[in-house]
Amino acid sequence: MVRGSTIRMRKRIFLMAIIIIFVFFSILIIRLINLQIINARYLFKMANSQQLASTKLTAKRGIIYDRNMVPLAQSATAWDAVLEPNYIKNDETREIISQGLSEILDIPKEEILEASKKKSSYKIIKKKIDSNLKDKIIDFKAKNNITSGIRLIENYKRYYPMGNLASNILGFTGDDGQGLLGLESKYEKVLKGEDGKLVSAKNAIGTDMPYDYEHMIPPKDGDSLVLTIDSNIQKIAERCLKQAVTKNDARNGGFAIAMDPQTGEILALAVYPSFDPNNPFELCDEDKKILENTPNEEKTKKKSELLSAIWDNTVVNSLYYPGSVFKMIVAAMGLELGLVNENSNFNCSGGIKISDRIIRCHKRSGHGPLNFEEALCKSCNSAFISLGQKIGAEKFFDFYNAFGFHEKTGIDLPGETKDVFFENMQPIDLAVASIGQNFGIPPISMATAACAIANGGNLVTPHIVKEIKDKDGKTIKSFSTKIRRSVISSETAKRVSDMMAQNTISGGAKNAYVPGFRIAGKTGTSEKKEKLLVPGQKDYMSSYCGFAPVEDPKILILIGIDTPKGGQYYGSVVAAPSGGLFFSEVLLYMGIKPQYNEEESKKYGIEVPNLIGKKTSEAKINIINLGLQPVIIGKGEEVLSQVPSAGSLIAQNGTVVIYTENNSENDSENNKVKVPNFIGMKKSDAIKIAESAGLNISVSGSSNEEDRIKTQSPSGSEYVPKGTTVNVVVHNDNLRD
Amino acid sequence: MLNKKNPKKQEKIKPQKFKKNKKFSLRNIKILGIRSGLDMPFLILVLLLVTIGLVMMFSASYPNAFYLHKGDSFFFIRNQAIFAIVGLVLMLFVSKLNYQSLKILHLPILITSFVLLLLVLAMPPINGVRRWIQLGPIGFQPSEITKFAIILSFATLIDKNFEKMGTFKYGILPFLIIFLPSAALLALEPHISCTVIVILLAAIMLFIGGIKLRWFAYVLAPMLGFLGYLVLFTNKLTYANSRIAGWLNPFDSASGVDTWQTRQGLYAIGSGGIFGLGLGNSRQKYLYIPEPQNDFIFAVVCEELGFIGAVIILILFATLIWRGIVISIRAKDRFGTLLGLGLTMQVGMQMILNIAVVTNTIPNTGISLPFFSYGGTSLLMLLVQMGIILSISRGSNIEKT
Repeated sequence: MVRGSTIRMRKRIFLMAIIIIFVFFSILIIRLINLQIINARYLFKMANSQQLASTKLTAKRGIIYDRNMVPLAQSATAWDAVLEPNYIKNDETREIISQGLSEILDIPKEEILEASKKKSSYKIIKKKIDSNLKDKIIDFKAKNNITSGIRLIENYKRYYPMGNLASNILGFTGDDGQGLLGLESKYEKVLKGEDGKLVSAKNAIGTDMPYDYEHMIPPKDGDSLVLTIDSNIQKIAERCLKQAVTKNDARNGGFAIAMDPQTGEILALAVYPSFDPNNPFELCDEDKKILENTPNEEKTKKKSELLSAIWDNTVVNSLYYPGSVFKMIVAAMGLELGLVNENSNFNCSGGIKISDRIIRCHKRSGHGPLNFEEALCKSCNSAFISLGQKIGAEKFFDFYNAFGFHEKTGIDLPGETKDVFFENMQPIDLAVASIGQNFGIPPISMATAACAIANGGNLVTPHIVKEIKDKDGKTIKSFSTKIRRSVISSETAKRVSDMMAQNTISGGAKNAYVPGFRIAGKTGTSEKKEKLLVPGQKDYMSSYCGFAPVEDPKILILIGIDTPKGGQYYGSVVAAPSGGLFFSEVLLYMGIKPQYNEEESKKYGIEVPNLIGKKTSEAKINIINLGLQPVIIGKGEEVLSQVPSAGSLIAQNGTVVIYTENNSENDSENNKVKVPNFIGMKKSDAIKIAESAGLNISVSGSSNEEDRIKTQSPSGSEYVPKGTTVNVVVHNDNLRD
Repeated sequence: MLNKKNPKKQEKIKPQKFKKNKKFSLRNIKILGIRSGLDMPFLILVLLLVTIGLVMMFSASYPNAFYLHKGDSFFFIRNQAIFAIVGLVLMLFVSKLNYQSLKILHLPILITSFVLLLLVLAMPPINGVRRWIQLGPIGFQPSEITKFAIILSFATLIDKNFEKMGTFKYGILPFLIIFLPSAALLALEPHISCTVIVILLAAIMLFIGGIKLRWFAYVLAPMLGFLGYLVLFTNKLTYANSRIAGWLNPFDSASGVDTWQTRQGLYAIGSGGIFGLGLGNSRQKYLYIPEPQNDFIFAVVCEELGFIGAVIILILFATLIWRGIVISIRAKDRFGTLLGLGLTMQVGMQMILNIAVVTNTIPNTGISLPFFSYGGTSLLMLLVQMGIILSISRGSNIEKT
């Protein structure tokens, strides 16, 4: 049977076979169990971590709209230029790529060359390049037949289409698209969305595996903000503010807040100087000069100081001394407590003695005997100090608290600051507090308190975001009016409003008078206690707070002009005309009809009829019959458009421009006129000159015929279409607050 | 029992039987004919392993082929498939031949082995070692010949000296004369893994051949001692030494030892889990495992086919070894038994050591996996050796299915 093997051989063979098959195979299988079952997860994870590379897919940041859905901040597609060193095959290609990218992107060639030698599959060379540069890179790749090594990855770049407009509210974003200031920072979570990622398998040299393993988590785009800001009102506010700041040489700029007093919605929030959020790190020319004169070692520090100064939203982040503007609050206290009425008598001798100090009225000789309304209109310090004494420190502080000065307003902007008030009010403190001096409040707090007077006594929460919408435009959340509490009775509020309206007609706020509208206003000037330009010299903060129409206030504005050095510093002269200019433009924009009295109606209140569609000749007669001047442009038979539009109210002898031909002609230089410089003119002269120039004029401010125009918009020498209305403000420089 | 009592009688019978077989086989060259007397289970196992080996080799090799051979994903598989086909034809051809005629060839083959081993030392080193002789497009390792030469000459000599295997003069000395220079020349290449295999093969064959067990202690102890001395206390084999350091700590790359291959292999094995990532879905083969088509192919097998696939392949190998042993035991003569066992053991040894290396059970050393690893000439050699086992099986006293 068995021929090849002996029994001893077979014994030994079996021993060996058992050792091999059972012992060795068992060891190997145990080893495999250990690796493939027990430690499988760990090894798999380790393998994955080297095989998988993930690329971030940036979520599109939400848009910031104004209340009319005009975009103020939006994200446009941009591209990150990415180098993929692992895909670059040889040194020659490296050289070509470095040279090409260096030229296109303006980066030193050596830098790119060095990056291209790194053992990596992803190296960002330049972030957020625009489509122009992107196309250049694509062309370059095509021209040099480069198929791998350079990638363009979609990203987003934040654009602020309106430039500087509302920049101090909007803020800006950083390199990674993160909000750094303002609403961009406050609403980071809402706007940002969620980044997605693309996970793909990479082989050991970092290039793609020809293996179907790709996993994408799509980005979730950010939600959009709809602001309460109206970009048109914002524009008007910024223009008025800038004019006041430049005209009065205000060294520290200024601010303007426009609110809807009923709802607390911020309609405009302007800060000057501002910055361009598209280039937030660039200084304005003036600051550049300052920086040039700074010694080298302090340049970096100085630059960041200057930048943070222009980035600051002073309305929310800084304190200001309200001065006499605060008297409206003290008046409300007095009326609410029944301590005074409009006719209560006061006597001003030019100052009042408190403890051992005499606090002077701005009229050194004294206002003499005057009633309470007159005291407000003349902004008499003596009267208000004695009213303050009647109120008493305790009640004063209660009201101060009630009006919300001692708390944050809760506005949805970052970095809101809190007031600095007297800790334990002494008689002298009470006295100066009664005239708005020696304590600091953020401007937003003053504006919110003034809203309570305007709206019948309700303290509202100011807010700037109206709605949050998702990317499809569906409203996710809307922010309604929040009334914190009722502070004073509506009757008190109305009485204060009426006194303030009188102040615009006959008192210190006269420069903010706009014919046809009842505007309540109060001006103020405060001595600054800190950050003086030259220690020892007096610096002032001049402000104006007003709202209109008094019967049903639709808009309230607080304007502050910081450190005016143009000769004038009273709020009534520095800030109030700005308020007048603002109201004269904004009220018409808001569609609030002027209510002229008979005399004014003749002068200003001629309503422009609708001429569109009428025969040219017919329209012409129509205009002449109304006492207006027709200017006909083109030879058409029919009226195609008109300036001003139907329903506008213009002054006697005003110009109505009738366009009868195709629109493209209308903008040509022939139909534009140079705006005359009205500054320094009397009102009557200005009206005549405007008539002859084919422009309409809207005059606000002082009604005294001898007073001169000091403010105008648009400014002289600008070119505007015929029929445009020029707003001018007549100043009375002798007004005091 | 028969052998011991009547050895001469048995030897007389054998040639007769053999002649009969030879005539039979020369007349009918049927490739897979059952009547040809081949051991079908063994043949099927070989065909299965060659097929699975080719599929896995293709899967493991194509990324490397794609990236390193100008996008030609079929670079490796094309070569291997050609050699496999030629090898299978040769195997069937060899299986028809009389393996006993190899007895005569044992000396020429042994001399060829020595010549080639000396020749290879004159070759330019590749990666610091001299293992390959390149003949035009075909390269081969003389060590493959050496392994066969040792098995063949040992089988011949044990068969010849069988009665005197207990003595030093016949049982030890001739083998030492063959074995020692072979092992020394292999160690000089250096080719530690092959040296180890040769040592183990020699030991197994002598053990089965019936030498006194104490000789193992006399011969192997100093040899192992010397090897241990080289590895542990000299700088000459620092390369082997560092492999041991890397073996103990494959995930710690701080030691300055390059454990990349081991580490990547372990990642692959672990990634496979129980069911594997599926055929062709290995990720670690994408340039992570260096040369995944060679020694570390089993890591890719584990990653793609999982624990279950790996165990099935282990079982196939085990079955092949078992069948090889059965064929050998039942061989019609002692030479056949010894030759068959030697060849079977070589496959088994290599397979066990390879998988032990890939799973980091022993230090990393270059051993290829039979039927799987890329290498045309070695696959050819392997299949010819399988052919010899099949030839032995024709005369074996076992049931043919």
